[in-house]
Amino acid sequence: MTRGYHPLVKQLLEGERSLADLPPELRAEGEEALRLLGAVDRAPATLSEALDQRVMAEVRRRAAAPGHRAWQWLTQPRDVQVRFRIRPWTIGALAAAAAVALLLARPAARSGPMATGARDSVWVKFVLYAPEAQQVAVAGTFNGWDPRAAPLVRTGTAGVWTTTLALPVGQHQYTFVVDGERWVADPAAPSVGDGFGRRNSVIAVSQQGARVL
Amino acid sequence: MGSGDEAADGAVVRAVLAGDVEQYAVLVRRYRDRYARYAARMLGSLDAAEDAIQDAFIRAYDHLAQCRDPDNFSAWFFRILRNRCLAERRRATRLGPALDVGEEPLTASGRADDEVEQTERLRALERALLELTPEQREVFVLKHVEGLSYEEIATRTGATVASLKMRMHRAYDRLRERLKEHQ
Repeated sequence: MTRGYHPLVKQLLEGERSLADLPPELRAEGEEALRLLGAVDRAPATLSEALDQRVMAEVRRRAAAPGHRAWQWLTQPRDVQVRFRIRPWTIGALAAAAAVALLLARPAARSGPMATGARDSVWVKFVLYAPEAQQVAVAGTFNGWDPRAAPLVRTGTAGVWTTTLALPVGQHQYTFVVDGERWVADPAAPSVGDGFGRRNSVIAVSQQGARVL
Repeated sequence: MGSGDEAADGAVVRAVLAGDVEQYAVLVRRYRDRYARYAARMLGSLDAAEDAIQDAFIRAYDHLAQCRDPDNFSAWFFRILRNRCLAERRRATRLGPALDVGEEPLTASGRADDEVEQTERLRALERALLELTPEQREVFVLKHVEGLSYEEIATRTGATVASLKMRMHRAYDRLRERLKEHQ
């Protein structure tokens, strides 16, 4: 069985060393390795012109399908703006109504967790060790995957970046965005595939706190 | 060519999502050839590469709303294509090498006599490359065909530079074994 290349020959293949740098007994192996690289086909690959037409025909067919439009509508992130118009006297009326409702709904004194509804979000601290990063942010389902919405700050400890966010109760997926372009799953949390080759970390936030899944 | 051809990827993606489906042709024109060589070398033939790129464009359209960074559509599209190529290679590996081996080299054509040896070497290398694992083959293609650095490959694939180098070294050894066997 043929042995693999000598480590020095691999350095030659990696462009870290020239053939003349190899010891004489490795020159032949080096020449063999260079013939391998010389045989690599680097010619451009040209696809048929009909490819564009086939893709666009299928895209048009899908765009016309009602199911696809509904899917796009459901999955496309969008900004929602809610506007109120209110007369000044109604503020007083609403405040009075709220006070009455609170009096009627106030339960008997009891021990245990805070009253229901008092905590609909929980502070969660995100930490990433990235000593070479210039900037780090966290993007996830809680901020529309916006890589600029939640930057982390460098702490006193070398290479450690943190931020604390109030997350709504529920399950969230997130990743760290390093230097604005590299999406990195949280090494301290389990992750799931996003279907496109990346991993998203998963966290569950409840009124008792947050835990990774 | 319409004015859309000069528009940034992000603007084109947003136009498609807003209902201007024809704008998708701008992205197809822009990226159909950019990754053709990668797909061809990964899959071993131009026909397979064309199928993979067509599927990747349609899959990208289906999931366009989930493209987190429309201005970086090309990287997102590459990941879709890469997944398709790796899945195809794994499937071919399960089925055995007979499907691929024996194809004409990708650029083979009428050659002068003094080029016959080079053509044979190219064919032997193509055959040997198909016997690498999909991940080993990918790092070899990205480094020695596409000419990327390990750092650039790491950005594209999400793997660390150390693991990429390890894959590459194993690929060198395996290629040597296979080429010796084919001689």
